[in-house]
Amino acid sequence: MAVATPSADFVAVLHEYQPLLRRVARLYCQDADDRQDLFQEMVLQLWRAWPRYVPQPGAKLSTWLYRIALNVAISNLRQRTRRPAPVGLDAEALAVAQAPETGYDADDRAQLYRAIGRLSDVDKAFILLYLEDRPYEEMADILGITQNNVRVKMHRVQEKLRALLVPAA
Amino acid sequence: MELDDLRRQWQQPDPAALPPVSPAHLEGLLLRNSGSLVEKMRRNTWSEALLTLLIVVGIPFYTWNTWGQALHTTMAGVMLLLSAILLVNYYRQLVLLRRMAQAEAQVRTHLGTLCAGLRQLLHFYYRLTMASGPLTLLLLLGFLVGKELARPGDFRWPLIAGLTAAFVGLGAVVQVGVGRLTRWYLQRLYGQHLDRLEASLRELDDAE
Repeated sequence: MAVATPSADFVAVLHEYQPLLRRVARLYCQDADDRQDLFQEMVLQLWRAWPRYVPQPGAKLSTWLYRIALNVAISNLRQRTRRPAPVGLDAEALAVAQAPETGYDADDRAQLYRAIGRLSDVDKAFILLYLEDRPYEEMADILGITQNNVRVKMHRVQEKLRALLVPAA
Repeated sequence: MELDDLRRQWQQPDPAALPPVSPAHLEGLLLRNSGSLVEKMRRNTWSEALLTLLIVVGIPFYTWNTWGQALHTTMAGVMLLLSAILLVNYYRQLVLLRRMAQAEAQVRTHLGTLCAGLRQLLHFYYRLTMASGPLTLLLLLGFLVGKELARPGDFRWPLIAGLTAAFVGLGAVVQVGVGRLTRWYLQRLYGQHLDRLEASLRELDDAE
């Protein structure tokens, strides 16, 4: 199947935001193959949506990208049909955002990832946007709910995460 | 470790782990077929629409060879009508699937579109499957009645009545079986996915 050559601006955008897409894939997929599949699917959907992208005053490109990445991740079927979702993340996933050790025990981090892996897809979206340091306003715009509800839901997800961490603590 | 601790590390990936994006690399990524459910449904719908178009193209050849025989001409007409109805439906499905494939909407809106669209498509598949059985039997019965009418001699009412009764009986049994099988098949193929999407949508709605 022939594919039109990607435009330079699309390549530049993808180059800039590739880490973002990889982070989304890492949070949603435990298996390396699934992660690569999801990354490719996100790139494909971005490519298809790119001609429809119209920059709006005051709107960030990242918001548009997060929407597509999360929509693809949440509605992605493949990794679920291939095998049941494992409880934790594999070694490669645990390397996500792995800055030099800052004194925290790697086991603690592994526990946290395992707990995140047990959250629902929607809860993971809240966690992802929180980790990405998105303001509530942008989170609301990405998810399609009000800022107040983002705040409430975020609080609930964090509580859920703490509850999941308690038995392991 | 708290979430805030993780946040401090989160956006510092190992640059070596990320392959550079070049146009050639990107073309390689874009060459593959999408694995999403919507894309698979789009491809299936296109295949079915093309198959129906082939039937439409084949019908004139059929009528050409059987020209003047009222029964065959009528059958061809009925087939053409059914194909036209199917093609209109395929077009509507493709429009719907195209809308479902656009992933740049807000997550809640996109999930709503996917759930409503998928439910609509499942109803369509179910109705189409359920209609195809009685329709096939009706066409077959029509064909047999036509042949009987074209046959010299008296119309054999008892034979036709017996055939009709047998068709109705058989049709009813098959219909129940097909109904159960279709429900099971659709649930297995798409239902679980729909359930999951609806659960995600409910989660976001709960936040409202």
